[in-house]
Amino acid sequence: MSENGVSGNAGAERATAIIEASGVRKSYDSGDVKVNALKGLDLDIAKGEMVAVMGPSGCGKTTLLNCLSGLDEVDGGEVVIEGESIVGMSDRKRTRFRAERMGFIFQSYNLMPVLSATENVELPLLVAGVKPKKAHKLALAALEMVGIEDQARKRPAQMSGGQQQRVTVARSLVNEPAIVWADEPTGALDSETSKDIMDLLVRLNRTERQTFVLVTHDPAVAGRGHRTIRMRDGEVESEEKNAEANAGANIETNAEAYGSSSGGGN
Amino acid sequence: MDTLFGVETTQLMWTLLAVAGLGAAVLLLSALRNRVAFKMAVRNIPRRPSQTALIVLGLMLATLLFSASFTTGDTLTSSLRAESLQQIGEVDVVLSAEEPSNPNQFTGPAVSRDDYFDEAAAEEARDALSDDEEVAGVAPLAKETVSVVSEENDESEPRVDILGFDESSMDGFDTLTDPSGGTLSIGDLGENEVFVSATAAEELKIREGDEVEAFFGDGPAEFAVAGVYESGANPASDTSLAMGLDDLQSLVGVEGEINNVLVSHDGESLEGGANTDETVAALAPVLESNGLAADEVKRDAIERSDEAGAQVSSIFLLFGQFSIAAGILLIFLIFVMLAAERKRELGIARGVGMQRKHVVRMFAFEGAVYALLASAVGSLLGVGVGWVMVRIVGTAFAESGFDMVFSAKPENVVIAFALGMVLTFAVVLISSWRVSRLNIVRAIRDIPEPDKRGRTVKGILLALLTPALGALATWGGFEVGQMGLLLLGISLLIIGVVLVARVAGLPDRAAFTFAGAGLLTLWLLPSDYLPEGMSQGIDLFFLSGIMIVVGAVWVVIYNSDILLGAVVKAFGWIKGLPPVLKTAVSYPMQARFRTGMTLAMFSLVVFTLVTMSFINKSFATIFDDTDRLAGGYDIRADSGYAAPISDIEEALADAEGVDEERITSIGSVNGLPTEAKQRGAEGEAESLYVQGVDEGYSESVGYGFNITAEGYESDREVWEALQSEEDVAVVSARLAPTRNNFDLGGPPPPIELSGFFQEDEYLPGDLYITVEEPESGESRDLRVIGVVEDSAFYAGEVTTSQSVLSELVGFPVPAQSYMFGLEEGANAGEVAGSLENGFRENGLEANPLATEIEEGAAANDILSNLLVGFMGLGLLVGIAALGVIAARSVVERRQQIGMMRAMGFQRGQVRLAFLIESSFIALVGIALGVALGGALSGTIIGSIEQDFAGITYQVPWLTVALVVGVAYAASLLTTFLPARSASKVYPAEALRYE
Repeated sequence: MSENGVSGNAGAERATAIIEASGVRKSYDSGDVKVNALKGLDLDIAKGEMVAVMGPSGCGKTTLLNCLSGLDEVDGGEVVIEGESIVGMSDRKRTRFRAERMGFIFQSYNLMPVLSATENVELPLLVAGVKPKKAHKLALAALEMVGIEDQARKRPAQMSGGQQQRVTVARSLVNEPAIVWADEPTGALDSETSKDIMDLLVRLNRTERQTFVLVTHDPAVAGRGHRTIRMRDGEVESEEKNAEANAGANIETNAEAYGSSSGGGN
Repeated sequence: MDTLFGVETTQLMWTLLAVAGLGAAVLLLSALRNRVAFKMAVRNIPRRPSQTALIVLGLMLATLLFSASFTTGDTLTSSLRAESLQQIGEVDVVLSAEEPSNPNQFTGPAVSRDDYFDEAAAEEARDALSDDEEVAGVAPLAKETVSVVSEENDESEPRVDILGFDESSMDGFDTLTDPSGGTLSIGDLGENEVFVSATAAEELKIREGDEVEAFFGDGPAEFAVAGVYESGANPASDTSLAMGLDDLQSLVGVEGEINNVLVSHDGESLEGGANTDETVAALAPVLESNGLAADEVKRDAIERSDEAGAQVSSIFLLFGQFSIAAGILLIFLIFVMLAAERKRELGIARGVGMQRKHVVRMFAFEGAVYALLASAVGSLLGVGVGWVMVRIVGTAFAESGFDMVFSAKPENVVIAFALGMVLTFAVVLISSWRVSRLNIVRAIRDIPEPDKRGRTVKGILLALLTPALGALATWGGFEVGQMGLLLLGISLLIIGVVLVARVAGLPDRAAFTFAGAGLLTLWLLPSDYLPEGMSQGIDLFFLSGIMIVVGAVWVVIYNSDILLGAVVKAFGWIKGLPPVLKTAVSYPMQARFRTGMTLAMFSLVVFTLVTMSFINKSFATIFDDTDRLAGGYDIRADSGYAAPISDIEEALADAEGVDEERITSIGSVNGLPTEAKQRGAEGEAESLYVQGVDEGYSESVGYGFNITAEGYESDREVWEALQSEEDVAVVSARLAPTRNNFDLGGPPPPIELSGFFQEDEYLPGDLYITVEEPESGESRDLRVIGVVEDSAFYAGEVTTSQSVLSELVGFPVPAQSYMFGLEEGANAGEVAGSLENGFRENGLEANPLATEIEEGAAANDILSNLLVGFMGLGLLVGIAALGVIAARSVVERRQQIGMMRAMGFQRGQVRLAFLIESSFIALVGIALGVALGGALSGTIIGSIEQDFAGITYQVPWLTVALVVGVAYAASLLTTFLPARSASKVYPAEALRYE
């Protein structure tokens, strides 16, 4: 697939593709008009890679994220995550798949307003069947990791936007997912807070070796990733590597995946 | 039903329609001036058809309850009218000899013969009314009530009305109609021939050609049955015979005399009574010259029926108050939630320049359309619900032959509609005003309003006014002796103090927990701790229900975290449940207002149902002890006047077929209508039927006393004192005051004694009732030496010795009833049958008391259950509220549901979270309702059982289980659809949804 797809990696000739998408098509009805949001898109993303998806409004960025993450079903094509196809997977299995291997960050945070920061972070763990006591401990550790342990008992309405987004980040990472999907993670934040959040995501990408797929309008945010994919009208228009980001990349190579000691990154 | 709470229904209808019409006119006018607001409002309605349907359903419930109450009342009115007119027919006014009134008591009226007078009076009456075009006929009538025996099979009927008609005067009256519709004519009767009513023929098992014997005192008269009629012999009971006037006169030995003159008016019999005043006025000289009185039978019957119908409607409305209150809460909740949904667009509307008043109007337009739809549907559906209830009532009376005639007066349906419309619209206006106070920025960004903790001008004013109002009501309660007002005052004081403390900085949890606990304590306080002698009516039940529910809801809502923790701890170990539980119980406890409202609705309705069931069940225990209710007697036998029994014991020895050995005691009872009042009391004397008992009764009656005069060692001594002491009497508990003064409704007693309480140790020594026999003018001061226990079903209002009655009237008053006690194991039914048979010539009518009581209890049971069922309609309110909340939550939380799904919540888990959320509210509401209902009924029954021996606190397990089961199952069903739609939310779409 990677031969035909827009694959990219850094630091290795052939990186392990954690996300492999080929010929992905998706259309939906908007009023009386049928919108072809994705028109046979191909894409590979390597494990540990931080990829930014950019493009004008309506180009299909969010639809792509939804289809790749299994939040939405595709009309055609193939999506393989960690070697397993999610196309045609039952809702139940796909949901469990998400619970075990994915984390999500959204522009509007999407925290449960009635739960405290800790309880919000606990939720994915509880869903995954972790015992409540252990979940609580892990949630506190996650909040500490994102630097807001002092906000643990507060509810979303009592926190700033940046703090809420940090809770979202903690929630997305708490069960150590392989992939974190972020849709406009800084869209609702001021530039300084945006930078803080991106610093956090980049740091986590480097230290936790998780794959990040970011949908964004902000070139500054996109510039922090290893690679930027530009979309237009449901297709990939271009892609570019970010040399600066790649300098500190931690992307898993085939050799590493097959047990070689030549670890990713530098 | 022509009146409701004392107001003419027609007048009420026009007033309500005028109010509704005025509101509609103002609304239309402002709609024309604000077309944009109007368009926005109207276009909002079809946006979500299922939500609109749910709103209309929720809003219509109060109207439905009104309409169902009215329909039940209307049906009862028309049924009673039909029933009473069956025995009156075309007869509008009956003239008879003047006599003192003989009020219909539970113990049954003594059957007496109307005095005879010259039949020329009928001619005089006809002449006096000859110019009145409305009068259709005037007829003389002789009427006797005697015992009749079939010669064919020996079957007997102790009470048969024999009517002697003058064939030539019967124009304008009913005609005797046989079962095939043919007419029977009195003129066709031969010598010693009679026509027999279908019911009498059925009871006596006779038909045309058979022979019967009628006992007129001097001996039997024999008749041949010439025909059987279905109707037409009026005024009479179902069992009647009809014959020529002359024949009856000669049989009785009153040639040329009659005892009734009948007057009939033109028009339908149901509409009769209209011309009564004119007729009676025109007859005044005739009445006076002949010493006659006019009995306005038709108008009285119609009025009695209408009053009974109105009373039933009022009872249903009274007990429906809780459901209606819950219905009003629901209307408010619906509009608050609608406002929450529209918050953002309302904020935008305000942002682009819409004034607050425009927002109010926009919301009011939309609300008016919902109110209109809901009231229309509710008032019509209520008729259907009323129909179902009437069917059930019908079964209660099926045994007694009382037919239910369904009726729903259009004007009452219109009243229900207008009442619902006005009520709904008033709530809409209040909520519209509340909505219009929104902060534009917060509304657009959907940020919650800050909690100012009552520190606003309005809040401080409320905090200061509430205790002031409370103090005023407390003082007023003491002044007028009203327990309800007093407790309401103290409640407002408690709430007021807490509101002030809250403004001063007391945390909400402490404030509302204290207020809630205060209300609970106050309203559940046993009557021993409350001031004595204050009046307590059914309104107290309503007030206490509202207050304790408010108190309990505050306590629960403000301490929900404890409850929540317990729930999570209890069920958190179940695999897959922790995340579901966490979200399910967090939402309702965060949305305190809507959860509190729903909780209040649920618990209020369940509380009412449970309280009613507890009270019904406990009261039903009274009927279990039939022996106690019957005073230890087994049979009551009423004697006919035509052939009285002079000495029952002697007669028993001679009576054929009566096994005297089985009878262990006999008490004889007679009675006299008197004018009576407490000696020294102010006001006029009232008509009171005084009962006289003989020695046999005093020696055998088993009734106890709530209180006696000093100096009597036992109940028996008091009964025997009626015979041994001069001018003493005992009275029923209804006439004597109690400390808690609890009034469960019903007609007031003829006189109310004062100067003591039944809870005192002894009756005062100077407690006298002055009774006067109006005919002779003779009077006696009877010293009251006992108040008979409440469960004495067959005791009179005032009971004295038979000798007192004889002295009052100047001659021995014949016995009217005999009470028989039987030996252990004797079959009362058989003995009663043998008594009727043995004394058939005397027209003795004997009934086993246990059967009579059990039949009464069964009918009572059906009616109580019906009332509970009617109140159960209120459950629909709570259930609809849960449905509305659940549906709304799915819309509100779409994005969050999407996030949950993205995070890995399975569909089933989302569905379960919603179901648990509703279950949590429903179960807490049900538990509160059951606990509060059990507690309050304990207090109520506790205070009743002090006076009413025989009543015991009983738990109606079955009803409680039914209420809990039905309420919970229905609430789950209502939330299942929204829960399912939540589980079907597609994560990608939901997350895009802003």
